[in-house]
Amino acid sequence: MNTPNRTATATASAMALALGATGAAQADVVNVFNWSDYITEEVLELFTEETGIRVVYDVYDSNDTLEARLLAGATGFDVVVPTADFMQRQIAVGVYQPLNRDLLPNMEHMDPGLMGQAASFDPGNEHGVIYMWGTTGIGYNIDAIAERFGDDFEVDTWSLVFDPEMIAQVADCGVAFLDSATDMLPAAMNYLGLDPQSTDPADFEAAAELLESVRPHVRYFHNSQYISDLANGEICVAIGWSGDVFQAADRAEEADRGVNVWYAIPDEGAMQWFDMMAIPVDAPNPENAHAFINFIMRPDITAMITNYVWYANANASSWEMVDEDIITDPAIFPPQEVLDNLFTAVTYDGRTDRLITRLWTRVRTGQ
Amino acid sequence: MNPQAPDPLLPVAARPAGAPLAAEACPWTDPAARPFIAIRHVTKRFGDFTAVNDVSLNIYRGELFCLLGGSGCGKSTLLRMLAGFEKPTEGQILLDGQDMAHVPPDRRPTNMMFQSYALFPHMTVEKNVAYGLLREGKSKAEAYARVAEMLKLVKLEPFARRKPHQLSGGQRQRVALARALIKQPKLLLLDEPLGALDKKLREETQFELIRIQETLGVTFIVVTHDQDEAMTLATRIGVMDDGVIRQVGEPHQIYEEPASRYVADFIGTVNLFEGQVAMAAPDMMRVDTPALGAVNTRPVPGLTRGQTVWLAIRPERIGLSRERPAGDANTVQGVVDDVAYRGHMSSYRVRLAGGQMLRVTQSNLDRDADPISWDEPVFASFSPAATRVLTE
Amino acid sequence: MSAADNSPQPARAPRRGLARLLPTGRTLVIAIPMLWLLVFFLVPFFVLGRISLAEAIIARPPYSPLFERDAEGTLAIIASLENYRFLLQDALYRNAYVSSIRIAAISTLFALLIGYPIAYYIARSPEPRRTILLLMVVLPFWTSFLLRVYAWQGFLRREGLINNTLISLGIIDQPLVMMQTDFAVYIGIVYTYLPFMILPLYANLTKLDGALLEAANDLGASPMVTFFTVTLPLSLPGIVAGSMLVFIPAIGEYVIPALLGGPDTLMIGRVLWDEFFQARDWPVASAVAIVMLVLVVAPIMWLQSVQNRRELQ
Ligand SMILES: Nc1ncnc2c1ncn2[C@@H]1O[C@H](COP(=O)(O)OP(=O)(O)O)[C@@H](O)[C@H]1O
Ligand SMILES: [Mg+2]
Repeated sequence: MNTPNRTATATASAMALALGATGAAQADVVNVFNWSDYITEEVLELFTEETGIRVVYDVYDSNDTLEARLLAGATGFDVVVPTADFMQRQIAVGVYQPLNRDLLPNMEHMDPGLMGQAASFDPGNEHGVIYMWGTTGIGYNIDAIAERFGDDFEVDTWSLVFDPEMIAQVADCGVAFLDSATDMLPAAMNYLGLDPQSTDPADFEAAAELLESVRPHVRYFHNSQYISDLANGEICVAIGWSGDVFQAADRAEEADRGVNVWYAIPDEGAMQWFDMMAIPVDAPNPENAHAFINFIMRPDITAMITNYVWYANANASSWEMVDEDIITDPAIFPPQEVLDNLFTAVTYDGRTDRLITRLWTRVRTGQ
Repeated sequence: MNPQAPDPLLPVAARPAGAPLAAEACPWTDPAARPFIAIRHVTKRFGDFTAVNDVSLNIYRGELFCLLGGSGCGKSTLLRMLAGFEKPTEGQILLDGQDMAHVPPDRRPTNMMFQSYALFPHMTVEKNVAYGLLREGKSKAEAYARVAEMLKLVKLEPFARRKPHQLSGGQRQRVALARALIKQPKLLLLDEPLGALDKKLREETQFELIRIQETLGVTFIVVTHDQDEAMTLATRIGVMDDGVIRQVGEPHQIYEEPASRYVADFIGTVNLFEGQVAMAAPDMMRVDTPALGAVNTRPVPGLTRGQTVWLAIRPERIGLSRERPAGDANTVQGVVDDVAYRGHMSSYRVRLAGGQMLRVTQSNLDRDADPISWDEPVFASFSPAATRVLTE
Repeated sequence: MSAADNSPQPARAPRRGLARLLPTGRTLVIAIPMLWLLVFFLVPFFVLGRISLAEAIIARPPYSPLFERDAEGTLAIIASLENYRFLLQDALYRNAYVSSIRIAAISTLFALLIGYPIAYYIARSPEPRRTILLLMVVLPFWTSFLLRVYAWQGFLRREGLINNTLISLGIIDQPLVMMQTDFAVYIGIVYTYLPFMILPLYANLTKLDGALLEAANDLGASPMVTFFTVTLPLSLPGIVAGSMLVFIPAIGEYVIPALLGGPDTLMIGRVLWDEFFQARDWPVASAVAIVMLVLVVAPIMWLQSVQNRRELQ
């Protein structure tokens, strides 16, 4: 079954944090720490078959969990997959070792344009390569929207969720927002015509006020609950991550109970994010880590993953091997005019982190 | 709740413990007297086990009635039916003429003193005793004034503020009594009230119980397995066995005139011999027994020649001597098998010719210089009046 | 029997030589729980306390060191109560503590109201049934706590069991909003912690002497009055123990509000999470945790001292 899930619950991450998998420094092992449901088992089996290196695979569901472990040190992981803006801060702390390009010949397959975008977080792509990338947009129940706004209505604007009058019309069937300040505040700033990469407290304040104005219509804030809720009709609109919404669509189709879910990148633009493969500075098996990353970068392997998880990749040579309906879907691999409208996250300093955390608590709880 | 109850502190003429009552104080001898408690054909079954079996009993106002019997014979069950904790499976209980079938324990004019005392451990003595009054809706001032009087009656004033676990066994017993009495119940039910006390304290407390019962004039029903206690306390005793009342009577009746081998054997010590009626006339009777030979007995009406009967003879009603006594007393010969010196008396076991043992007790009041001793041949003698002929 | 057994022995022979250095059985028995407390409670507590006095920095680990050597090489201790002051400045923290305590207290009350009759019923049940009922109380522990809380979503959802049943019975025509509300959080907490309320109450109520109830009944108390004047006061220790076992973990509860609560369910567990993971401020997060601990431990100590005093009387 096709079950990509870049997130799960915060709870599971707390457990992962408590229990943890401590990697072992053995010649034939690579310890991988990746997002949950972000790969197909087949890839891991193939890797072991071809290289003789066993994969110890563990998962997390939020950048925060990963970062907490990396900062605590001695994780025992050889390969981790942070999102680029988080990675940038972690590089500054010295968490990652530079990649040895001699060990990564498959680097040649990577798309220079996308890698260039990632380089704004990791100058010269010295510490990481793109695993998958995606956008933060709107997932919706096609029939519920048609029922309320007419058959011709197209979900192409953030107004659906940021205009109090519009969101009020869908509040009764359920609206969910991501519980992620770093996704939500830039999206709101972008909608207000402000620079989504601004770190000006006034801009954050404006974004928070906008979000507070629609909050009464939001049923909950969560990073994964919306996947199943969209799929079974519990909610009809969610701000979410592209691959996760597609997973909801897939589940809804399989359940065959008349729920149809789709994903849209609004015309105002949306956040584009990159999940990067990187090697911690204290990785016990750095050579194996390089072998693993190089293996993933093989075009057939990357294509296999994309076909399974429905997230876009940055491996240009793989694209001819990606399923037709995925590669042509503008919501997964957007055309150039949409790509031009996307923006990326920025890495915040400690003061800004605190500010947005506080603002976000205010938005979420009204406190 | 109980307006006609007498003032608790008004003394009533005291009766010496265990003494037979004057005729006017014995309503059970008067067929016209109305019983205060009428138990009619009451049976209680737990599953298919019968704990109380068709008991009928009348108890009169002012009595101190003892239910006496071995452990497990159904005494507590009968008492608990009077209190209302158990419902009779069959039969009826009338209290002062009123059918109790549908009256719950908290509405009955009875109170119970529990075998374990069941004092409330989280309350002081004072609060324990006041509990029943406060439930009646009495004001605190009134209730505690009464509590003070009651504590005086049971001599517990200094302990009013203590918790039950800070009291001795005897003190707890008196708290339980005070608590059960404070509501001036028409009927007080006491389940082994002295069972938890040591022997000396128990004996003292027996008289204390009688004093209080007489002072308050309340009807008491006391359950006990201790025959001495029953003898000391009771106006009348009901002997229970296996769910059945075997005999009801004043203590001396139960002792002197047991109605059955069971009662004779249960109360005190007795010599029992089987035999056949040899002669039954209105003024005299003779019974042939293998052990004693022919025995002249008190005449019992309604017996016929040849009927199997048992002779019950109390050891203290038998005399011992080295020479055959003169007179018309029944006399048997034997050899002293054992002697036990018990202070005020000695008890003997005399082996009869047929090998049976006869128990005899002799007062040591006129103990002579040369008392009868081991292995001496002796004559045991008892008058016809000392015998009791039993048919069951 | 040997002769030595008969000869009188001193109650406690003095320990000679090396034996004196070895722990006695009694000290061992005391030492094991002490060690447990030390390793799993006191040490983490001091680690937290030490981090709460530091300053957040972007480093690994992400807080300032306790000792620092200045240019002349003298050792300086760097500690500040700034983080605690910070907690006082922002009403958010106070509100979160108050709201956590409120939610925990209300949940405890409901757990008590529901748990007491259950415990009472079990304690009064005859033997074979009693064991079965007790087993049923602890049975949920055999499945993951997470799964059980998730399962409640199935009941409380818009299209969940409760709404569907009520609608099909015609009692309501619009689904009730139960998920993502405080109501759902109360249900989750009460459901999850109910066994911790029932078990100490059960242990207490089985010890209750039935004769006391009969005595009260006999003295004119109706069953209801008997309950309030005898059963309830005597079960107070069980009530206190059960309430503590529910109240304390409920204050710090994170998972249940995360899975069942709404956006405005404010609990300190979530604030702690945000401080740690989103603001990445380990020192403030530690300060939040320490204050929470003090808030929880203080009432226990107070209760303990009250109980000790009562026992002394
Ligand atoms: N609630 C009950 N259920 C079953 N059997 C009982 C119950 N109460 C008493 N019994 C049985 O009835 C018999 C009489 O008990 P009880 O009246 O307490 O005897 P006692 O004369 O020693 O006070 C005993 O064999 C006891 O086991
Ligand atoms: Mg009994």
